Amino acid sequence: MKLRGGARIGVDIGGTFTDLVLSDAGGRTWFDKRSSTPAQPEQAVLDGIVALLRRAGLEPADLLEVLHGTTVGSNTLLQQSGARTGLITTKGFRDVLEIGRVRTPDMFDLQWDKPVPLVPRRLRAEVAGRIAADGSVIEPLDEDGLRTAAADLVAQDVQSIAICFINSYRNPAHERRADAVLREYFPDLAITASVSVLAEMREYERTSTAVVNAYVLPILQSYLQRLRDGLLAIGITAPLLVSDSNGGLAAARTAMEKPVFFISSGRSAGVVGAARLGRAAAEMDVVVFDMGGTTASASLVQGGQISRANEYEFRAGISVPARFIKAGGYMMRVPTVDVAEVGSGGGSIAWIDDGGLLHVGPVSAGADPGPACYGQGGERPTVSDANVVLGYLPDQLAGGGLHLDVDKARAVIQRDLAAPLGLSVEEAAFGVREVANANMARAIRAVSVERGIDPRDFTLAAFGGSGPVHACDLAKSLDINRVLLPMMPGVFTALGMLTGDVERHFLTAMPGLLQNLRLSELDRAVADLRLQAAAALRDEHFTPEQMVLAFSLELRFEGQDSELPVRLPDAVLEIEIPWLRQQFLAAYEAVYQYAADDAVEVVNLRLLARGVRAGKLDFATLSITGVAEDHAPASEREVYFGRDLGWSRTRVLDRQAFTGTAHGPLILQSSDSTVVVPPGGQVANDGLGNLLIDLREGTGQ
Amino acid sequence: MSLNIDPITFAVIKNGLDTIVDDMAYTVMRTARSPIVRDVLDYSATICDARGRILAQAKTVALHLGAVPDAVIAVLDEFGDDLFDGDVIILNDPYAGGMHLPDIFMFKPIFHEQALQGFAVVIAHHSDVGGRVPGSNASDSTEIFQEGLRIPPLKLYAAGQKDRSLFALLRTNVRLPDMLLGDLAAQLATCSVGERAFINLIKKHGAEGLGQYFNALLDYGERLTRQAIRAWPNGRYEFTDYIDDDGFDQGPIPIVCAIDVMDDHLVVDFEGSSSQVKGAINCTLSYTKSSTYVGIRCALGREVPNNAGIYRCITITAPEGSILNPRMPAAVAARALTGYRVVDAVLGALAAIVPERVMAAGEGGNTVVCIGGYEGEAQGQAKTPFILVDMINGAWGGRAGKDGIEGVTNPSQNMSNMPVETLETRYPIRVEEYALRPDSCGPGEYRGGLGLIRQYRLLADEAVLQLRADRAVIPPYGLFGGGRAAPSRNILDPNGAAEALPSKVTRTLRGGEVIRHEQAGGGGYGDPLCRDPEQVAADVANEKISPAFAEEHFGVVMMAGDSAPDLAATEACRRSRK
Repeated sequence: MKLRGGARIGVDIGGTFTDLVLSDAGGRTWFDKRSSTPAQPEQAVLDGIVALLRRAGLEPADLLEVLHGTTVGSNTLLQQSGARTGLITTKGFRDVLEIGRVRTPDMFDLQWDKPVPLVPRRLRAEVAGRIAADGSVIEPLDEDGLRTAAADLVAQDVQSIAICFINSYRNPAHERRADAVLREYFPDLAITASVSVLAEMREYERTSTAVVNAYVLPILQSYLQRLRDGLLAIGITAPLLVSDSNGGLAAARTAMEKPVFFISSGRSAGVVGAARLGRAAAEMDVVVFDMGGTTASASLVQGGQISRANEYEFRAGISVPARFIKAGGYMMRVPTVDVAEVGSGGGSIAWIDDGGLLHVGPVSAGADPGPACYGQGGERPTVSDANVVLGYLPDQLAGGGLHLDVDKARAVIQRDLAAPLGLSVEEAAFGVREVANANMARAIRAVSVERGIDPRDFTLAAFGGSGPVHACDLAKSLDINRVLLPMMPGVFTALGMLTGDVERHFLTAMPGLLQNLRLSELDRAVADLRLQAAAALRDEHFTPEQMVLAFSLELRFEGQDSELPVRLPDAVLEIEIPWLRQQFLAAYEAVYQYAADDAVEVVNLRLLARGVRAGKLDFATLSITGVAEDHAPASEREVYFGRDLGWSRTRVLDRQAFTGTAHGPLILQSSDSTVVVPPGGQVANDGLGNLLIDLREGTGQ
Repeated sequence: MSLNIDPITFAVIKNGLDTIVDDMAYTVMRTARSPIVRDVLDYSATICDARGRILAQAKTVALHLGAVPDAVIAVLDEFGDDLFDGDVIILNDPYAGGMHLPDIFMFKPIFHEQALQGFAVVIAHHSDVGGRVPGSNASDSTEIFQEGLRIPPLKLYAAGQKDRSLFALLRTNVRLPDMLLGDLAAQLATCSVGERAFINLIKKHGAEGLGQYFNALLDYGERLTRQAIRAWPNGRYEFTDYIDDDGFDQGPIPIVCAIDVMDDHLVVDFEGSSSQVKGAINCTLSYTKSSTYVGIRCALGREVPNNAGIYRCITITAPEGSILNPRMPAAVAARALTGYRVVDAVLGALAAIVPERVMAAGEGGNTVVCIGGYEGEAQGQAKTPFILVDMINGAWGGRAGKDGIEGVTNPSQNMSNMPVETLETRYPIRVEEYALRPDSCGPGEYRGGLGLIRQYRLLADEAVLQLRADRAVIPPYGLFGGGRAAPSRNILDPNGAAEALPSKVTRTLRGGEVIRHEQAGGGGYGDPLCRDPEQVAADVANEKISPAFAEEHFGVVMMAGDSAPDLAATEACRRSRK
């Protein structure tokens, strides 16, 4: 029986693999995992969609939506491969971007390197024209000077320009005018006016956010345009939604205009999916661990709540949202899921430095050429090569389409690592695994131990193509006893997107003392935002019944800089001001343990508008019948579990057919990933399709 | 590590303490009222054990924290056994554990099961604590009694009960009472956050077990410090740096530092430094120590934890009656300047020991700009007072293998800057320029960072300007053949009469007047004639240095159009200089 229509596809592009999950109206799912095509990332997406539709027996017209997470934005920043970007600022403020907030990430470290600004000084131009702090115009915008400055930047080959004028958050007239003039005179340039991405006080934060937007915009725009064209070419007219850094979904056209909100697109979707999975599996305290081909990331879910931040800095090495460091890196003041990331993945290359020390990453063999064992021209040993040599990975990968060449992997590890270090091949391979695990443990520590949170109280939820191969060893190194592995871990992020909702944020500044707030005015503002949200969600095809609106008023004591939200009830006109004050004081006291008698001021009215997607997947009822396509017979192979245990004869079972409980050593194989249960571990199927591994001493055989 | 120490628990407790102090620092930022605290981050937070030993410190003002041990001693001397749950103690007296009057220390003793377990400590720079000049920070005061309200160790709360008399006294003696009380409330909230988290740590690990780990943590700090010092050659290393003047007629003022490396211990002595001076740049011994720790800490490895274990390995002395150990009633409000120069002198002496870890002198410490007065309609209404306290930083000197940094905090501080938009919203002042200062770097194979420019226009009718800079006479030093940076300048009305002002200014500013500060850059490191001509050309292209500066200091001749170096002409030019 085929169910026509109502199908959805989730797509997650990583540095190495592109993962796709298709669910039909009956809740059945199919997935596809294939090598990414970095030069034209859309190619793998389109090929995967065609293949999935064919396997599901569906037509392009049966698709309701295409949901997408992409690393195009983060890779652009990481590799500094963005557009040549110029910046136009108010006269006297050319260096705001480079000066930044002047702090350093560590004290007492005189060897620190301040990150190089995305726009060098010679591509930063000044224009006369000044707005005062109260929004009044002190000096008109010098439009001739603006055109000259822009022409000079164009002559230096810039493709994209950010504009940020002092006090534009208070009165955007000059910025809007400059935006219009530049669009008129230079129609081929990408233009970002700072207030279009962040209409908040503080010139550095606004400038930096606008510059990141401008830097990434041409790249992400051209990618999404090619993807849309490609979808149309294969007959898909369903809307394309993109996952943002906060884990919500938004229309592709939003991502093309404001890419700065989509830099951490994919990895945030994975965390949001894992939090939903945790709730379905009654696991409320979870360390989320995602290991792909190029990077590994970690995030924390406490009491079912995702940890989030309202600004973060993107930097190489380890990327951690800074709460108050502001120490270089590329600052973006946008809402984001709080994720730490390190450059270790299955494709990370292992190498030896001049001092004879073994390193893994951050360079990755990526999808092309890929690890040596892929036999696609890779000549350097990677983490996956080590896993193949040690017996953790089978000789077939990725849906059976890829044969893994064990001999080739052994040869490169022998040549590049074992021989120079004077070790056996398996010892060298195990060393690669240990170094990679130590790198990845840093990401988990950054979001747990380093914040004083003991990871031993948590469950490790692991996914990503390589996640289940490393999860148990990582958990052991951090003394975590429980490991949760979802169904389809290898394509989990794509699957997670299918469980998500559309989220849009709206904001109105309402500066003034709370005691002077007029409820009629608040009511008007609420009505106005409600209209905006309804229009935006209607545009994305939501019916009024599917819209969930949550209004909050952001309050603080007079003179403070940071607000706390107070959730508003539906009937705004019936609110009493003392009640609002009371709510604020209670919230404030809960956080800071004191409340003052001082005046309270209103800052913003904020609206989080959710479009509840009809027919979205639910982990609690997810049917995995569609997945079981290629049962493999039970078998055995030799697996190396370290110097003490050496090689062990290990059973290999089919992941999808596995029920009940079993003891390690054991390998559960499926076409999207490999689960390694070490000696001493006990694995159980939880009935929802997830695996739970207990690593406590004495639970094994 | 002793037998009862489990390495994972050790790591969890160490990082747990670091997180507590970070949470404390974050709480100050979120709850404070004044821009100097919430934007510029002139505050610090720490957790001490019951004996007052620092266990961890937040990544905030480094120079504050070395002064905490002496402040705890003052508190324990005063109260000893008279400490109870719910007590909150404040002090600011430089002659009783404090540093200068605007910095109010707050201590909250932490009790668990009726026993004192430690202290949450928050130090914040208050915008005004009274005295003769708004901001209480003038460098031209001559005795402590002019500088504001002196607070010896006193209980602001006794067993949870607010001391109304003390609050009334504070409120009456300062120019901005609401701001002072608001910032005190933020300090109190922060102490409570620290207290709650610290008690959680005790509940989890037990007071006794925790005590063992604290000892292990301090021992670990000491062990790593001794290990580092042991690798340094024994001997005496000396360096002298200077402060331009004290705002009167005394100058230059020498800071003489001698470091004796004795196996795994350091003795740092400041014999030969200037006697105490008339102006308010005298620096109490506790602050001298704090500054010395900062300099030495920079020469140790990054892995050394920030706790009191380090202090066990360093002995510091300065002659009584000197600028680094003054006698009452010497004025001390601008003592931070002297602290910066102590750090510069210590780093200068360390350059001979660990040339790869130090840098040439930076900008010389942040420039403090206070503008205070009254604003608002005069028609029958009382005008409202305002006091801007702004700090300008900064530039680092060149380093082994890399240039200095521009637009960066002095390493003694880790402060931030006040956003121009925040400043303009809060004060009747417009900022007309905030930029890098071209040609201000010290030349070197690795050049110093550029200094900053900040220019203010007064919009109110009248205000008192109090500006404290330095390095106008004796610019930041270079190392190993690197040159000095450009000196700092203060200019009144730069687009009109352009009157040059001295480095330390207290004067009336009229409405519409403009004051401009051009900060010194960082010194150079290594021979500037060895600098890669392509690097020099890149600086010219970015207008960080002029073509004339490139030729004069680096011997690099640019091609016509200044787009690339003329390598042949450069070679000839450089040969002629050698």
